[in-house]
Amino acid sequence: MKPLKLLALIIIPMGFIIAAVPQNKTNPYKLTAEELLNEVNTRNQYVTADVVADMIIKKDPTLRLIDVRSQDEFEKFSLPGAINIPVNDLLSEDYAGILNQDIKMNVFYSNGTLAANEAWMVTRQLGFTNNYVLEGGLNYWFDAILNPQKPASTSPDEEFAKYDFRKSAGQALGGGGLTVQGTSDQTSTSAKPAVKPAAKKKKASGGC
Amino acid sequence: MGPLAPNELISENTNFLLAFFIGIAFGFVLESSGFSSSRKLAGIFYGYDTVVLKVFFTGAITCMLGLLFMGLFGWIDLDLIYVNPTYLTSAIVGGIVMGAGFIMGGFCPGTSFCGAAIGKIDAMVFIGGLFLGIYGFAFTYGWWEKLYMAHYLGEPKVSTILGLSDGLFGLLLILAALAMFVVAEWAEKKFPREAY
Repeated sequence: MKPLKLLALIIIPMGFIIAAVPQNKTNPYKLTAEELLNEVNTRNQYVTADVVADMIIKKDPTLRLIDVRSQDEFEKFSLPGAINIPVNDLLSEDYAGILNQDIKMNVFYSNGTLAANEAWMVTRQLGFTNNYVLEGGLNYWFDAILNPQKPASTSPDEEFAKYDFRKSAGQALGGGGLTVQGTSDQTSTSAKPAVKPAAKKKKASGGC
Repeated sequence: MGPLAPNELISENTNFLLAFFIGIAFGFVLESSGFSSSRKLAGIFYGYDTVVLKVFFTGAITCMLGLLFMGLFGWIDLDLIYVNPTYLTSAIVGGIVMGAGFIMGGFCPGTSFCGAAIGKIDAMVFIGGLFLGIYGFAFTYGWWEKLYMAHYLGEPKVSTILGLSDGLFGLLLILAALAMFVVAEWAEKKFPREAY
């Protein structure tokens, strides 16, 4: 009987202590300041507008666009298929399953890159992976995808290829076509946007 | 800080090395407490020896308290601990099969290897049966798959289902375990056996 009493004497008080204290629900940050700074410096969190446009057009199921602007702005304009998670609601329980997962490639975007980067930094510090930032934000998206500028005639071929892709992507995504349709000599004249594969898909590497 | 391996504080190889030493220690303690005798394990079902119940429940409670306190101190992130997902049907069916094997064979997988290590023939036969079962299940998996995957519940915790805090549930489990120990010791006196 003695060992049982001894056991009871030790574990019952411990049980009472653990029952009395509040549960530790703090979510420790997984990255040190240096590690985060290092990741910021490598700029691996950025995904270019071309890659995103290509994925949207190809209906790549792994892409998930997350608009981190306010709901008003989101309703006025958003990228196709995007969902809205304003930065302020980022830590809401409802979105934990969306932000902390290893299947989809989440791409945050805002008008510039500031809010998207804020969202990325917070999720990154929580140790989440697979979250990225649209390089240049919507402002660059408008310039590059929806309204691309024809490169100078002396530009290298890659520039033209990029321009062709952006132009057809822009048409497919509901922009651009209004302005320069018909004046081009390089692109095909078919009405259906011929989307050429963008430069090799450069999925941001790194993370964990 | 912890858990060590998922947070990559130690490499996978170091993890295996630690597991190797812990496994040896586990086997040593099993053998030195007499668990390599099938009569000891069978005793729990007849009431003459309840060491199995006491040892494993004490182990579980110690582990639970350790994890809860380490979680409280921020030494370990309990969300990162791997929890076996619950498939209700296969848990029940598997429990019955395992329990039946337990009574008939007098070993559980771990203790059978302890028994075999000290040369017990019944333990070796048990291990043979173990592998027959494993291969039998693997090769006929298609027949069982539906049953095996039925009633998937994710990773539920009893405390969440009951709406209690983890700590309070821990306390209740400790009290329940101690009550069980008292009953077990009463049973040992009630159904004694001279030599086994």
